[in-house]
Amino acid sequence: MQLLRKFRGANNEGSLALILLVVVIGMSLLNPVFFSVNTAFSILRAATVPMILALAVLLVIISGGIDVSFPVVAIGSAYTAVTICLKTGFDPGLPAIFGMAIIIGGLLGLVNGFVIAKFRLPTLIVTLGTQGIFFGAMLVYVGTRYYPSLPASMAALSGVNVIELTTSAGRAYLHVLVLLSIAIALIIWAVLKYTMFGRSLYAIGGDVEGARRAGIRVVRTQLLIYVLVGMVAAIGGVAYVVMSRSANPQDLVGGELDIIAAVVLGGASIFGGRGSVLGTVLGVLLIQVINNSLLLVGVPSAWLRAAVGLLLILGVGAQAVSARRSAQRIHTVDTGEAVRPELEKVS
Amino acid sequence: MKTEHAQPETGANSFAAMNNRIGRVVADAIGRTLRDRGVSRMLIALLVAFGFFAVMKPQIFLGPINLQNIMVAAPEVGVIAIAMMLAMLTGGIDLSLVSIANLSAVTMSTLFTIMTASSPGLGDSMTIPIVLLGLLVGAACGLLNGLLISLVGITPILATLATMQILNGIAIVWTGGKTLYGAPAALTTFGKTAIGPVPMLFIVFVLVAIVIATVVRSTALGRKLELQGANPVAARFSGIPSRSVLISSYTIGGLLAGLAGVLFLCRNPTASADYGASYVLLVIVIAVLGGTNPNGGFATVAGVVLATLTLQVVSSGFTALRLSPYQYSIAQGVILVVVMILDTIDWSRPKWRKRGVTTDSASLQTTQVGTIKKDKEQE
Repeated sequence: MQLLRKFRGANNEGSLALILLVVVIGMSLLNPVFFSVNTAFSILRAATVPMILALAVLLVIISGGIDVSFPVVAIGSAYTAVTICLKTGFDPGLPAIFGMAIIIGGLLGLVNGFVIAKFRLPTLIVTLGTQGIFFGAMLVYVGTRYYPSLPASMAALSGVNVIELTTSAGRAYLHVLVLLSIAIALIIWAVLKYTMFGRSLYAIGGDVEGARRAGIRVVRTQLLIYVLVGMVAAIGGVAYVVMSRSANPQDLVGGELDIIAAVVLGGASIFGGRGSVLGTVLGVLLIQVINNSLLLVGVPSAWLRAAVGLLLILGVGAQAVSARRSAQRIHTVDTGEAVRPELEKVS
Repeated sequence: MKTEHAQPETGANSFAAMNNRIGRVVADAIGRTLRDRGVSRMLIALLVAFGFFAVMKPQIFLGPINLQNIMVAAPEVGVIAIAMMLAMLTGGIDLSLVSIANLSAVTMSTLFTIMTASSPGLGDSMTIPIVLLGLLVGAACGLLNGLLISLVGITPILATLATMQILNGIAIVWTGGKTLYGAPAALTTFGKTAIGPVPMLFIVFVLVAIVIATVVRSTALGRKLELQGANPVAARFSGIPSRSVLISSYTIGGLLAGLAGVLFLCRNPTASADYGASYVLLVIVIAVLGGTNPNGGFATVAGVVLATLTLQVVSSGFTALRLSPYQYSIAQGVILVVVMILDTIDWSRPKWRKRGVTTDSASLQTTQVGTIKKDKEQE
């Protein structure tokens, strides 16, 4: 029992891993083609950009907020960097392009963070507003053009693979940017686990007032969160542009809720204070595996959205029901702790 | 908003007395409406926006075609925004509204096409049942939301995020991602008719607004919705059946989304799964601009109607000035953020001055003051 509980993990990572395993085994039995290095590599490739963006969102969600502007920040900073390079005709090299995008992303994040932390406005509403501003500003001041080819250094990266294998089903490639997403996952995991900043995120997400009284500089931390989210999103944006071998300013935008769904599926609480890198990684992978499976089984990929929605209801619903049960066990009405003092006073 | 209902049945036979009374009721209703910050603020914004564009480009902006366009385009967004307002009133949010509207439009269009295929003319003669089915689909989806939120206990934002994905997924699969053509001719005609200068669609919008405003303001259900949003714990202790209140709130929201689906078909005899994808976030913007408290407990329909019109005026004004939709997107975001900021500054300024700005943030200080007070009371 103890072992079982430990396996389940703090945020249901265990259950999620189990579901992922069941889907993989089930699919392999149904269609042997599924169980191959090629499939694994292509799933990893497809998961790269959603993974980076989901990790960015995870930071916000742990701190108790919601960000819907991150896809615009991602594509906006990558597109701006590409435009600058192409317009000036000067290719500063890969690190400089990444650096440029990260700086732009960080600045956009700073705008979010400033408005949210300074004026204590609801994060959803603020990022809704800045999403419109960033998107419009990018298209008006940077451009609306679709670039079918990238600066040479980025284009070179598009074709770089870490592993190239020849299997019975043809050649399998593992794209180099998959490593980038793994590196970001590890860095964010370490930040959340071992740094003061990471622990502050959980504290603020759990209870802002409590965090403030514990001596955490709430405003500064919040500002930093959104800057960081902007920077990580920018990396995701550049990765997206590199992998799609073209730069289109209208891409990614509109997919924000899909990414948030993946993070929540990964066990992060939308109220903040809970969530893990492992859960998020599993959530993103599960969605990509299901996407891939649907195609192999011959179900139109249009069902993917419905499947994700259904998973979300099952996952969150199970959590809600079990939370209600445990609340009943300690003899309170289902909101738990908050109600009890009043009850005692009345009686 | 309530003036239309204020038909006094006085026994007074003097016309002057009746006139007086109507005047008082109207003045009272207007005064009460204007006292809401959301309403007066949006009224000013609407007048300023209208005046600005009227001065900048009178020949285009004030042309009858442009004004009619504003009134034809506003209803579908406005009705969904009112539905969003209802969800926010109870402290929730409904992300699935646009998906519901599209599913309802797709259902109606498919049914019409099937009927017409089986025998020409059948589809047109069955207009009313088709529309009723569309509304029913909306209400059923809303009921699903309500059940997930109240019975299962899923947070509104997640429950409706999930149903948004599911309903949208169903619509995509159903249509195969294509746009469906076909709608009862009566609907298209209805969308084109106008009483004098006012299109029928706009009249429908105003009627919906009046009905919902009456429900919110003058019925027991409306009061329960407000209390549920203002303080769920207090609501439960005062014996308010939270579950049925939430279920009815989301069901009405779904019904309104179904109606929006009908309005889609009135404007254009086409239906697709991803029509109005930008509406999801736009209606949240409208609801918040209209003075709806996103944390629940406060909302006015009049504010939402005015906010809808303001954004529509700005949108068509930008077109009249030959600005791009992207510039409109900037304006929309700026309006939202600035209005929200002005809102907070208004009430936090005195404390700001008094206490200096050395500590974390202005409004954290208010919470601090609040909690300290509470602590003292407990001692």
